[in-house]
Amino acid sequence: MSTHETSDKFVYHEPGLQHQFEDMGQQEESVSIGMWMFLVQEILFFGGLFTAYLVFRSKYPMAFAAGSNHLDAFWGGLNTLVLIVSSLTMALTVYYAQKNNRSMQVIMIVLTMFFGAAFLGVKAIEYTDKYNHGLIPVAGLNKKIKDDKTAHSTGHEKPCWEVDHNAPAVEHPNPRGEFQWTDCSLVKLAQDKNYLTESEKTGYFVKDETGAAKIDPDKFRDKVRIFFFLYFVMTGLHALHMVVGLGLMLWLLWTAFRGHYTSEYYMPVEMSGLYWHFVDIVWIFLFPLLYLLGRHFLAAH
Amino acid sequence: MNAQTAITEGHVDAPKGNYLTNGSTLASWLLTKDHKRIAIMYLISVSAFFMMGGLYAATIRLELLTPASDMVETATYNKVFTQHGILMIFFFLIPSIPAILGNFLLPLMIGAKDLALPRINLISLYIYWLGGGLTLFALMQGGVDTGWTFYTPYSTTFSNSFVMFVGLGIFINGFSSILTGLNFIVTIHTMRAPGMTWFRMPLFVWAHYATSLVMILGTPVVAITVLLLAIERATHVGIFDPSIGGDPILFQHMFWFYSHPAVYIMILPGMGVISELISNFSRKKIFGYEFIAFSSIAIAVFGFLVWGHHMFVSGQSIYAGMVFSFLTMVVAVPSAIKMFNWTATLYKGSISFDTPMLYAIGFMGLFLIGGLTGLFLGSMGLTVHLTDTYFVVAHFHYVMVGGQVIAYLGGIHYWWPKMTGRMYSEFWGKISAMLVFVGFNLTFFPQFILGYQGMPRRYAAYPEELQVLNIFSTAGASVLGIGLIMPAIYLTHSLIFGKKAEDNPWMHPGLEWRTTSPPPTENFDVMPVVTWEAYEFGEESGLDLEGAKRRDAATIA
Repeated sequence: MSTHETSDKFVYHEPGLQHQFEDMGQQEESVSIGMWMFLVQEILFFGGLFTAYLVFRSKYPMAFAAGSNHLDAFWGGLNTLVLIVSSLTMALTVYYAQKNNRSMQVIMIVLTMFFGAAFLGVKAIEYTDKYNHGLIPVAGLNKKIKDDKTAHSTGHEKPCWEVDHNAPAVEHPNPRGEFQWTDCSLVKLAQDKNYLTESEKTGYFVKDETGAAKIDPDKFRDKVRIFFFLYFVMTGLHALHMVVGLGLMLWLLWTAFRGHYTSEYYMPVEMSGLYWHFVDIVWIFLFPLLYLLGRHFLAAH
Repeated sequence: MNAQTAITEGHVDAPKGNYLTNGSTLASWLLTKDHKRIAIMYLISVSAFFMMGGLYAATIRLELLTPASDMVETATYNKVFTQHGILMIFFFLIPSIPAILGNFLLPLMIGAKDLALPRINLISLYIYWLGGGLTLFALMQGGVDTGWTFYTPYSTTFSNSFVMFVGLGIFINGFSSILTGLNFIVTIHTMRAPGMTWFRMPLFVWAHYATSLVMILGTPVVAITVLLLAIERATHVGIFDPSIGGDPILFQHMFWFYSHPAVYIMILPGMGVISELISNFSRKKIFGYEFIAFSSIAIAVFGFLVWGHHMFVSGQSIYAGMVFSFLTMVVAVPSAIKMFNWTATLYKGSISFDTPMLYAIGFMGLFLIGGLTGLFLGSMGLTVHLTDTYFVVAHFHYVMVGGQVIAYLGGIHYWWPKMTGRMYSEFWGKISAMLVFVGFNLTFFPQFILGYQGMPRRYAAYPEELQVLNIFSTAGASVLGIGLIMPAIYLTHSLIFGKKAEDNPWMHPGLEWRTTSPPPTENFDVMPVVTWEAYEFGEESGLDLEGAKRRDAATIA
């Protein structure tokens, strides 16, 4: 090793070995630990969001149940399935890289990308639906619906806890694209059955002239809005991770197509796989927390 | 030496280059993957932020010279102390020792050619620049006035300042420290030279391992917190703001879950430096190596369990407070283990008072005061009286400045010959070390008394009877300022006029001293094999002690 110290040219023994390492084993170990450490910090990153979700859900379970019931469990379930299958194709990509099978690698990467894109497509459908129904928690970002006096709904005059769930959906006027929420039947339900939390007892009600507590639809709306805020931040950050994952896949597709990966050297495939599985697992937690919790209240009516 | 000469002339006689001479274009610096060059770029950027933070500090002390709020308006004063805190904590203290000394020394100390992930290392520097740039942009647009803690609802409802941009700046900057920590952990696990077992690593490396754990586990949480805060600012959806249904206590929990462990990011690396300095200038194997190593890990672990002691009076339940108060006392144990072991190392050591050692001794005294006053603040009863007073300000400055900054300066002096290949002026070094020590104590000791007498922090005006102590404090700050400017001058001066440094000016057995000063780009010509224990100052570690004695005799004669 006489010319060890200066020129990279003399240090590269194996393809893909970087100059700071002695051998491939050391490089693989380093990259692997690095990726796991990255995933640890990702867990804590999402952990902060899960904490916020947990705190607000335990304070306002009814508002969260109400918001949760307005997410479409069909699309959410479909997306869960799509992601699980994409994890399978991702795992198969690693398998075929280990088996030196270039064409199957490419096919599997394309499939993974297809499922990833399908997931984002479904997400786009869901987001559009929220946009149309005034469920985006930011004022001005929802669909603006003119205040048409003739088409004005009659359900609007009823108290908010008597909204008929089976009636056809009415488009409420929303000239400024604000967050809208008219249904507080779950509050009534919880009040009747006496399982409101302490926070809810102050958080959903106002005192009328006689001093009796009365459901305040605006205060309830603000709590549901927190649910949708968390929904958009959590699924939005998750979708952002999916986009990054798709970028990784694109790079992987190109390098796999050129035959970079063999049974000797498939670290990048394995590492991208770890990332992909991690993003899947985040969704596995998001789906029940956002879509499923509180669904049993739908049957209570 | 390039590849051509290596082939034609062989490796023995070719003139040696070092990392500083290996390329002089701007691109050779900006696109480098060499951990040493990245460390130097960090040194320059971090120093710039330190200077800006220092100017804010000077403004604060000048304003508090008189009882009335006369030099700056109260609204401006809010911005001044906020921005002092933000710049000093996120852009100076947190990256100071890890990103500069850690980056430079960690691979050298364990006998590696570079950090395990050099590209990630460069990316982390760019992220630091991006986050810092965004924050500076926000400060120039009008700044923030919320206090560095961004407490809601100050930061959501009552502030018209640029909370969102500063929040994003800190969010981005957080990933710089995450990536640095990640890189260190990987490097320590996989890049150690043959024979460099875990318990032969310098304690500096152990301290950085513990620091990196905190960086990886804590920083993402504050990142998501300030991101939520920024989104809340932009969209007016209540998540932390109580007026629209949010929960301000949740913000404090999430903020301090990182920001208390971050306090240990700001002191653990300093403790690592001090372990090196104390051992070297006592010419003695460090006392209780394993205890110091594991106390670093213990501090990192316990550090995650005490965040609630920032919230004793802000709405946390009293039972939670009691638990946090107890756990806070527990952190004192590993800190005390370190103090006792350093003291025991000094005992019967052959102590020499070179500049770095002056800083190290200063650290021990100041950190002791900082740590002990932490016990006052950690006990729930006393803290009701002391919360948000100058007692708190004095306490954390004793730990952050008296601890980390002093350790940082000591470390910079100690490793300066290795980093630059030049010796600094020992005379001016000692003068400035003493000025810093005296100035620091004069600045912050009166603040303990002020706080105990009830002077609240974050106010531009105060009752007249407190003026004398405030004058002391401002006078001390001037001395401290001079003490801090001096190294900038004589260290820069030494780059050109300094005496050429030997490879091992301190006769230390560590691996970083077994390569040239400054080291070559690949750190070691031959892969080192470690056969000695850490801090083995005798002949058995292969040091040429006789040769050193002859050289010393020659210089004296």
